[in-house]
Amino acid sequence: MDAFYSALGAISDPFTLLAIVAGSIIGIVFGSIPGLTFSMALALVLPLTFRFETGAAIGMLLGTYIGGMTGGSVSAILLGIPGTPSAAATVLDGYKMTRNGRAGLALGGAVLASGFGGIFSLLVMIVSVDMVARLAIQFGPVEIFALVLFGLSTICGLAEKSLIRGMIAGIIGLLLMTIGLDDMDGVARMTFGWTPLLQGVDLLVAMVGLFAVPQIMKTLIDYRTDSAFKLNASDIRSELPTRKQLRSSFWLMVRCSGLGTAIGSIPGTGGPIAAFLAYDHARRFSKKPERFGKGSLEGVMAPEASNNAVTGGAMIPLLSLGIPGDPATAVMLGGLLIHGLVPGPMLFTQNKPEVYLIYLAILVAYVAVVVFQYFGIRGFVKLLKIPPHLMAVGILIMCGVGTFAIRNSFLDIYMMVGVGLIGYLLTRARIPVTPIILGLVLGPTLEREFRTAMIMSEGNWSIFFSSISAIIFYLLTIGVIGFHVFSQIREAKTARRDNEQQQGAS
Amino acid sequence: MKTTRKSLMLTAAAAIMFAGFNVQAKAEFPEKPVEMTVLFGGTAQTIGQLLADLMSKNLAEPVVAVSRTGGGGAVGYSHVQSTGADGYNIVWNSNSISTSHYRGNMPFNYEAFTPIARVSVETPALAVRSDAGWKSLEDMANAVKAGDKKLKVGISGNGSFTHLTSAALFDKMGIGDKIVYVPYGKGKAPVELLAKRVDAAVQWPGQFIPHQQSGDLSILCVTGKDRIPQLKDTPSCAEVGAGDLDITMWRGLAAPAGTPADVVAKLQAAAKAAIESGEFKSAADKIGFEAAYLPADEFGKLIASDDAVIGDLMGKLGLKK
Repeated sequence: MDAFYSALGAISDPFTLLAIVAGSIIGIVFGSIPGLTFSMALALVLPLTFRFETGAAIGMLLGTYIGGMTGGSVSAILLGIPGTPSAAATVLDGYKMTRNGRAGLALGGAVLASGFGGIFSLLVMIVSVDMVARLAIQFGPVEIFALVLFGLSTICGLAEKSLIRGMIAGIIGLLLMTIGLDDMDGVARMTFGWTPLLQGVDLLVAMVGLFAVPQIMKTLIDYRTDSAFKLNASDIRSELPTRKQLRSSFWLMVRCSGLGTAIGSIPGTGGPIAAFLAYDHARRFSKKPERFGKGSLEGVMAPEASNNAVTGGAMIPLLSLGIPGDPATAVMLGGLLIHGLVPGPMLFTQNKPEVYLIYLAILVAYVAVVVFQYFGIRGFVKLLKIPPHLMAVGILIMCGVGTFAIRNSFLDIYMMVGVGLIGYLLTRARIPVTPIILGLVLGPTLEREFRTAMIMSEGNWSIFFSSISAIIFYLLTIGVIGFHVFSQIREAKTARRDNEQQQGAS
Repeated sequence: MKTTRKSLMLTAAAAIMFAGFNVQAKAEFPEKPVEMTVLFGGTAQTIGQLLADLMSKNLAEPVVAVSRTGGGGAVGYSHVQSTGADGYNIVWNSNSISTSHYRGNMPFNYEAFTPIARVSVETPALAVRSDAGWKSLEDMANAVKAGDKKLKVGISGNGSFTHLTSAALFDKMGIGDKIVYVPYGKGKAPVELLAKRVDAAVQWPGQFIPHQQSGDLSILCVTGKDRIPQLKDTPSCAEVGAGDLDITMWRGLAAPAGTPADVVAKLQAAAKAAIESGEFKSAADKIGFEAAYLPADEFGKLIASDDAVIGDLMGKLGLKK
């Protein structure tokens, strides 16, 4: 208990509190601007924290991480461009809500769900960090491969009308990801001997290209042809979710937060998978599945609860095993180490006050983020009053700056434009772009885990059926695809019958 | 006679003036911020940022750490190699200059750069699970020789530094042909070892130490010629039967070949002051680097001799392109 009081004392230091709040704001700003991500914000904040005291340093890093994770939803909802890869699933319904004039409601739902998911995962972490860590490491290459395969099956739900078009998009995503240096064998793939291409297609670059560029082109074309989508200023309300709406989605948030925490705790998976699985889950079990894709509040809250629950989940292997699950937690690891906190099994016995401090800092950061973002909604929705064609130019500039800043590469800017043009042509061919993102996100993990499993078994395929949890995921995958194909066939049949009846009647 | 004297004096005056200009021009480096390209993320980036920060204190202009990751370092090396040899673009390099070159990912080798200073050294370590019952390197080697199963060893990627180190180590122990290397990215190998999916792992000591303290893993040896400060009780592999094995990974600073010697000297002095500061030493200790300054000439010799060793090893492993 003494350790707890000393942590409480450390956190109530004004400078520490200020550092957490400052971190949260930096995170929100970076997260909400398309092209700038929290991984980048963390790398920029890290040198600042070298000379801070432990509490302030860790608080600032945690605040940035958490602010960035929730901030990603702002541009996803308002502009239809995810601020971070984890917010890609939020675009699906969030942007539709904005187009329906309900941006305030979507933003409010997103931030409340984010806070809920984050605090949920924090509680799980406090109660069961050791147990969850022990369970999570049971997830080896085979199990992760099966989980990711299941994640890919959500393409079915995202494919809108045509499964074939969804598959085309998913495969484009998988193929794009093979460009560059193969991490496992250290050989170049699809680079045609050109060194700069070794860096491959960055996920964020592709994402900005696919979501932002086609939309900017469309806005400018529509402006010239005068068929622009106009939002009446009076339609923009800063409406917030009612208590009833929140109560009705309480259990959905609990389930999605659980999902996010679990996925976050498995190293090498992360936010985007959790968000897409949560979206798919919400749609499948919703009372009004037909509302999904057209502006469903549930479709915003589910991925947001889930991707923020990943923050707490990812802290579990980081703190208890010293394993960073993604680039953001890798920067966090550096920050912890430099302040003499060595994550691992001994952290919880040797550094109790600091562990409590981390818990409290996460709590404070979530409170700060929710307060700032909730009261910021009125300001955010005002952005929509800017004429779309002017906004489009501003977004284009931010995207250029952001894609360059990821790894200071001019090639990335050309890559963004190139991917964007392809994305525009694909949308004209009615091929959805979201499955491309799913392919990009899941492809590298899928491939790596598959190959690792094959190396471990020395080429014996039976390893893929050696684990119960993997088999469960295969069955779920087959179930989802089978269900989808079955219902499409049935739909086609009824459509044909209706057609025949109409013809018969006329 | 008179004219000669006059002309001599003129020449002398001119020489002094020119020398003066020269001194002034030299004194002016750096006139603008120096860009330090960082090739990798994670702890290498953290320590690179700290180094840049501390070097800034000893130069008129700041040193800025700029991350250019990708291609196992090849992207960043290519960028710096293509910039002017004026000292404003330097690279936070490592043995990856040799591994990337021999994999055929870069058309140039270490000779495209002029060394500035070695900054740090990291020594890989071999760990096994405590419940495996192997108390020493020899125990493990004997068990592998006696059994008919291959030993699964977790490394960071085929052709990575930890792979080369393991290959050299197991070769010296005479079990080189009974190993399956399982490559993992992102520092996952220790977890895979804990979860019993591999039998041993060769990684950086910092990744193993917490698990050794908790009693789950035991570190059998470190691959340098000497013990390391973090693990005073752990023998070097050479001490316990691995012959003359001596493999460590250095990190340092380099500039494009042809950078003027006086500019290099200035950067070297700034690096030296940064590396020998208490702040750098303590941060390096905590992160698992060993601060180990070497001046440019000695560093250059080290790069060349390591390049030969790495090229030879990769050739033996069939990884050389």
